[in-house]
Amino acid sequence: MELREFFDSGAVDLHLKAESKDEILKELIALLRLDDKSEGILFKMLKRRENLGSTGIGRGIAIPHCRSLVVNRLRVAFGRKPEGVEFGAIDSQPVHNFFLIVAPPLEVSNQYLPVLGKLAQFAKEPETTQRLARLEAPEEFLRLLEEQPAR
Amino acid sequence: MHAQLEILLQIQDLKAQRRELADADSGGTMEHEEFNVDIENALQQLDEKIEEMKGGLEPRIRTRLDRIARAAGRPVVPLINGTCYGCFTTVATASLLGMSSNEQVHVCENCGRFLYSVAG
Repeated sequence: MELREFFDSGAVDLHLKAESKDEILKELIALLRLDDKSEGILFKMLKRRENLGSTGIGRGIAIPHCRSLVVNRLRVAFGRKPEGVEFGAIDSQPVHNFFLIVAPPLEVSNQYLPVLGKLAQFAKEPETTQRLARLEAPEEFLRLLEEQPAR
Repeated sequence: MHAQLEILLQIQDLKAQRRELADADSGGTMEHEEFNVDIENALQQLDEKIEEMKGGLEPRIRTRLDRIARAAGRPVVPLINGTCYGCFTTVATASLLGMSSNEQVHVCENCGRFLYSVAG
């Protein structure tokens, strides 16, 4: 399984405009291009997940995630806010890079947790933050993922 | 979307989240180790939220929800390409009319589960 296969350039935004945690979540959700009602339900679910503990795992990276019936397959998006946003991260530092993962409650292929785990590992790699900061186009983000070893 | 259906969806999503957190072999361990989540506290929060949301359901819908949850597990399932993803039977074409907008609460005629037409 490779992370690259789950992302497409249309769900990548390297210049998020949001200035707050809630706005970041909404901007990420918009990258999935759902209908308005589904976006609203997904936002509530992501907020509830954040209330259990921030998905900001440190090093300027957050991985908002949840399961929801509003999608019928695993959906992912990536957003970057170069200036960073206060996200309640574990290390209390602003977050610059956001990986959104949403999956239906039941998946035939059971990809949600493996993808979540793999992104968490990716986030921990020493050079990840710097490499994400250097990206200039969505295609470069996809190429960066392609360099990740399959597991 | 019908307001009652929206509540049903949120309850189902919260239950999915709870189920995953409670499973130490999968989501629970990851949430604790990678995201520092206090699992016991999180489960309690989710239980309270689920009960709170159930309070917003009409009595007949709540009764059906609880009955199906006891008998068959997931009471709210997606309807994808005309198929109920609870019992995997094809819903009659006539019954499909109006379902795609989710403006009414529909149930599967075969298994009785609440149906949600997925757009995402």
